[in-house]
Amino acid sequence: MISSSLFSTLAMLFNLSLRNIVRYRRRNFFLFAAIAVAVGGTTLSNALIRGWQVDMLETAVAGLTGHIKLQAPGFADDPSLQNAFSSLTPIALGEEVPILGFAQRINIPAVISSERETRGVALVGVDPANEGISLYSDFVIEGEDLSGPADGRLLIGKALAETLQTRVGRRVVVIMEGADGKSRERGYRIAGVFDAPMKISEELLVFTGLQAMQAALSSAELSRPITELSLVLQAEEDRVVAQRELAAQHPQLVVKDWREMQPQVAEIVDLVDATMAIWFFLIMSALTFGLVNTLIATVMQRTRELGMLRALGMNQRLVLIQVVMECVGIMVVGVIAGLLLGVAMVFGLGDGIDLSAFSESVEAFGMSTLLKPVLTLEDLLLFGGLSVLVGFFASFFPARRALKISPLMAMNR
Amino acid sequence: MTESEQTKSTAKPVVACQGVQRIYQQDTVPVYALRGADLTINPGEFVSLAGPSGSGKSTLLNVIGGLDGFDAGSVVVGGVDLGGLNAAELAEMRLRNVGFVFQAYNLIPVLTARENVEFILQLQGTPNQERRERADTALQRLGLGDLGDRRPGELSGGQQQRVAIARAIVTEPVLLLADEPTANLDSKTTEELLGLLRDLNQQQGMTIVTATHDPIVMSYTSRQVAMLDGEIHQDSASAV
Repeated sequence: MISSSLFSTLAMLFNLSLRNIVRYRRRNFFLFAAIAVAVGGTTLSNALIRGWQVDMLETAVAGLTGHIKLQAPGFADDPSLQNAFSSLTPIALGEEVPILGFAQRINIPAVISSERETRGVALVGVDPANEGISLYSDFVIEGEDLSGPADGRLLIGKALAETLQTRVGRRVVVIMEGADGKSRERGYRIAGVFDAPMKISEELLVFTGLQAMQAALSSAELSRPITELSLVLQAEEDRVVAQRELAAQHPQLVVKDWREMQPQVAEIVDLVDATMAIWFFLIMSALTFGLVNTLIATVMQRTRELGMLRALGMNQRLVLIQVVMECVGIMVVGVIAGLLLGVAMVFGLGDGIDLSAFSESVEAFGMSTLLKPVLTLEDLLLFGGLSVLVGFFASFFPARRALKISPLMAMNR
Repeated sequence: MTESEQTKSTAKPVVACQGVQRIYQQDTVPVYALRGADLTINPGEFVSLAGPSGSGKSTLLNVIGGLDGFDAGSVVVGGVDLGGLNAAELAEMRLRNVGFVFQAYNLIPVLTARENVEFILQLQGTPNQERRERADTALQRLGLGDLGDRRPGELSGGQQQRVAIARAIVTEPVLLLADEPTANLDSKTTEELLGLLRDLNQQQGMTIVTATHDPIVMSYTSRQVAMLDGEIHQDSASAV
């Protein structure tokens, strides 16, 4: 427990520090400005980096992956209907793990041919009503959307339609493997052509109704097969718990999360945290050198005053506390101003930065073409807290210098 | 011998210096600032240490005040032997036993006159209410009752030095040390200030030691000690 005397002494030192900050207001203004610009700039750049990370994560989850996907064992090595499971598989997660939705699909490789070209694609049988959780809901469709799971027409990407030199209403031929392991060749009419945020989706994905696909490909052993059940949670933080619960409920299936299915994206997402830490370290290192230099100059300017305090009987511990308080005070004001500046700049960016001029490059990173900065309270508090902590440790350099001042030498200056 | 003189001679001395040497190294050459100074100051004395520049008067004052060390001899202040005390212990000794008045006032510029006086009481851990009352009393005693809220920059040199004296006496130290306290003041203000110091000495029995080369200051003190080349050259107390 802090005694009232110590508390009173600390209050006095705080008061003294505050007045000293005001006393050198012109010099401190420039110091505040330097800290504020550094912290503000880093806040903005971190918000953009965090936005990139969130965008990559959302893009990964909003693909056909979801947060968690259930598949039959062996599907990863042999993605065919022979490694399917029943669409009657129940999904039951506790209330502590709220889900946004789930979608059952057949997702198998196929070959699609028009009169002019042939391409390898992923043929995906879906129930459009359940695809609100995936990129399907973001498609801009020319022609018609699939009317339901029984719709036996196709929805193909704009890029694929251009490659195949076909269009809405035309017929194409699809070759795929049935549940019995035999190849099937079927003719499909194109209901619509979709425009997706990422070009690779337009080139690789072809959609049709799930029930229509089941009817065409199922066998007597498994009448309503699916190859994947994709699940999107309300919060990424629940992913591990949900995966554990589902794995316990369905030991006969493989339960993977998006990090296992998209390890490259997972690594980049992790790398972003490291990038932010390195960026913070670099900025703070540069700032610390400037800060220490200025604070030492401040102490040296007041050698006589600090020496006089010691001559009067102020012990070294209190001198140290006073100098540290002053330095931390400067840092706190600068950091708060910097965070406000950073937040203002983030809001100034509005809807984000349009990167469509570099669309191919950003898609290669698994990003969408609109980079939105993301500010989180955790980031602000962590960054602000770390900055003040840096200021605290930086203040020990001038404080140590202050302790070396001999009262007698100081008085004789 | 009067009763007062008898009391002084039997009371424990406030300052007892014996054979004090202080040697500074100037490059490789030793410079003797004090060459075995002996000085005893009894309670209630008002002593001036006089002498030309380099005579050792300020050095002796700093050694007595615990601001400077010494290389040989012994120094006892208020019953505390300063030999062997570390920096923290010396700071504590200064805080509890000694009041300082400096030539350049050395007030804390961002604090008001009252806060400057309270500052040292704060360091001693005096409670708020008592601190305030004692600071106001000290300021009033020095004729600064209505200037407590002013900062040093808003006060004249004489007023600042009076605040410095108030700060030095507010803790009721056993010894008040003043190093050239009037050097920056005009003659009228000097006389006023010396009058105040004499009142403190005569009315409250405060022991005061001042280093000076000003004859006016010496004329106000009850004992004049002349120093030369780091030694006590002449002492009016011995002469009597």
